[in-house]
Amino acid sequence: MRLKIGFLYSLILLSEIVLLPLSSLGAEKATIKMAGSTTVLPVATKAAGKFMAVHPSINITINPGGSGVGVKSLGNGLVDIGMISRHITDEEIKNFPKIDFNVHVIGRDAVACVISSEIYNAGVKKLSREQIQKIYTGEINNWKEVGGPDKRIFVIDKEAHRGTRHVFMAYIFGDENARAKGANLISGSNNEEQTKIALSDTAIGMLSHAWINKDVKGVGIEVKGSVIEPSIKNIQNGSYPISRNLSLITDGELAGFAKEFIQYILSPEGQKIVETSGYVAIR
Amino acid sequence: MRRDLKEVIFFSACIITTVTAISLLFIILSAILVRGLPAINLEFLTTESKEFGQNGGILYQTMGTFILIGMAGILAFPIALGSAVYQTEYLSLSLRGTADLLVYALNAVPTIIFGLFGYMFFGVFLKLGVSWLTGSFILAIMVLPTVLVSIKEAIESIPFKYLEAGLALGLTQERLVRAVIIPQSIHGMVTGLLLGLARAAGETAAIMFTATTFSGVLLPASFREPVTSLQTHILILAQEAINPRALTNAWGAALVLVALIMLMSLGSMLIRATITHEAER
Amino acid sequence: MWPLGRWRPGVAFFISSFLISISATGIIFIFLIVESFPIFQHEGLGFLSGSEWYPGEVYGALPMIYGTGIVTFIAVSFALPLALGSAVITSEVLSRPTRLVIKMMMELLAGIPGVVYGLLGITLLTTAVKNTFNLIDGNSFFTAGILLSIMILPTVMTLSEDALRSVPKEYRDQALALGLNRSETIFHAVLPGAIKGIAGAVLLGIGRAMGETISVMLVIGSLDRIPQPFYNIFTTGQTITSKLGREGAEALGVGYHWNALAGLGLILFLAVMGITFIGNSIVGPLSGRGINTKRKQKKR
Repeated sequence: MRLKIGFLYSLILLSEIVLLPLSSLGAEKATIKMAGSTTVLPVATKAAGKFMAVHPSINITINPGGSGVGVKSLGNGLVDIGMISRHITDEEIKNFPKIDFNVHVIGRDAVACVISSEIYNAGVKKLSREQIQKIYTGEINNWKEVGGPDKRIFVIDKEAHRGTRHVFMAYIFGDENARAKGANLISGSNNEEQTKIALSDTAIGMLSHAWINKDVKGVGIEVKGSVIEPSIKNIQNGSYPISRNLSLITDGELAGFAKEFIQYILSPEGQKIVETSGYVAIR
Repeated sequence: MRRDLKEVIFFSACIITTVTAISLLFIILSAILVRGLPAINLEFLTTESKEFGQNGGILYQTMGTFILIGMAGILAFPIALGSAVYQTEYLSLSLRGTADLLVYALNAVPTIIFGLFGYMFFGVFLKLGVSWLTGSFILAIMVLPTVLVSIKEAIESIPFKYLEAGLALGLTQERLVRAVIIPQSIHGMVTGLLLGLARAAGETAAIMFTATTFSGVLLPASFREPVTSLQTHILILAQEAINPRALTNAWGAALVLVALIMLMSLGSMLIRATITHEAER
Repeated sequence: MWPLGRWRPGVAFFISSFLISISATGIIFIFLIVESFPIFQHEGLGFLSGSEWYPGEVYGALPMIYGTGIVTFIAVSFALPLALGSAVITSEVLSRPTRLVIKMMMELLAGIPGVVYGLLGITLLTTAVKNTFNLIDGNSFFTAGILLSIMILPTVMTLSEDALRSVPKEYRDQALALGLNRSETIFHAVLPGAIKGIAGAVLLGIGRAMGETISVMLVIGSLDRIPQPFYNIFTTGQTITSKLGREGAEALGVGYHWNALAGLGLILFLAVMGITFIGNSIVGPLSGRGINTKRKQKKR
């Protein structure tokens, strides 16, 4: 046991300390990091899969989290591309004075007011802006007040930074940060909200229209007596009132692989991915 | 008669609680088994996940977990060993209690706080970003007390005659550490490391926004890339609990993770149960 | 014995590792204070007493503090009777091999990760709670509390059992000799002797319950609101940990929102540290029982 164990471990400890700065310098393999909106996520993931198949030397990592995470991650320099499904707020621009936010619109989407299929099938096929507003403030708390069965409304709100919430609240309340005092539950991603609504039989919530399915129904929005369904057609012709751009954001002018990737999404092949994900292509 | 009745009631109550506590374990384990087993097959274990985890397997999630905890173990072990030796052999007796309390305090820090701190310190300040190395550093700090205490206990349980023999041979403190203390506490190092790795493998909150990503990563090619992990994979799939395919895969991943952790815990228990010192045989 | 004058690599290594181990907690504490300072400047004590939290406008931590308190209370209320009952049986009735098997099972139970408990909670427990109590939704303080009670059960049970067994055998013999039956012996001789250890076990359980994030986050509903009336535990709410887990990634590093989350972290840190410190002082910090749920077999 004359081994210099202590010396050996001093070396290890020293190497641990040296490892830190070294690791931040080295290893610049072509990696594109992305994070943000779960509405943009499916497009980005599918596009990344195809892009990486053509460019095997490039690695694209994608994290969900919501539009707020997309902006913050780009602002903190943690990702190369942020994904957002709303505009960047003034506060966010103020928080990151050094970042030159550059927005690349890749598609269009609608935010649907969604309800449990049980309520939809029981007759609630449309809601007006005022009705939704009252549901979210708690003034209306039973489905029978809006033409449905005698059941309490389970009101699902979203985390404050989520793009879907910003767009939805901007239409319903005229304020993207509106407070919803009638809410019973807060959810996060589109998947989570879709799950919560499907599991409940009396829920109302807000979702990208691409998440509507047999358990989660999108109601028509009643505007001046006519009912507008959340459909691709109505997003395309601009009649559906709660629509938005889906965008990728970068810091300053594009360069390198990130540029190639965004160009790919804007290419006809990339735009087809936008369409098959349930959104409207912009080109 | 009344005293007898009380006795019966008391012990029945105790037995009911015992049975409840034990059946809870069985309910939980069987729930994981029943729901997880249908997902498990060779393909599930050896292919990458597809379509947001709804299809495919968990190969890279499993490897990601191994990478995270492996590096955490490598980082934590020497520090734990050095500190354990210092606390038992060098530190003045009056300070040992305080040192212990500080180590226990580290153990009690809520893991989500390690996540916030680690993100700012390793991720932003040291510019490691969201990467597996950030995660490993965080997990290393988190499991440090577990490994440390285990080694310390092993050192403290070395029979005194060993030390006497060493001192009688005229060994200096440092020689004693190298020749007696470290070799005689290897079982403590192994059990401590196993317990620490098991704890790190079960941790989600500390790494969920610092080290892992959801898709696009197979194996990291550098220190600065994130990985996927079983823990965060389960977390994301759990949030879409309605989709049966996603849910089956979540249970499958949970079964693999629990099995992994239990293997490590059982390993440490076995080593602990079988170890006896030569001098006491 | 400060080894000045013999700064060999080995000793230097021991000292530096030691310093890292004992300073980590302090560094994290200072980090939380520094990062949360602006929010206390901005909101004053209103940060602690405010009941509204709207990022960018107002930050009040009270609903989260309330949530952490009530969820922990529920967890302990359910875990304590279970833990105590099974600790009594294990320590006073069962034979040594059976006892070891039960303690081993408890250790395995303690190893199941929080995210797996969360998965159990979100798929099985929420549905069960919803149907049993005929609620509009199964996510609630109650659900989170139940889940936590299962998670802290091994800690509380193992440490309580240690406390019971540390009561000298003579106490029991004397009580039995005085004509007390077994339950009276346990009540009048064993429990009073073990009460401090049990209190320590409960405190360490509380510390663990307060710090658990993932499982709570998945079943609590994440609504920053104190229920009306305040004891209505069958509604959705928020704990400090679930808030940090939900909003951490979004707020990291920038603005009052981040400072406010760091402030929440500081409150949680102080509470957990205080409780664990008292718990460890009672249980005996030198035994290592607070960390690895095992007993040291031999002392030097």
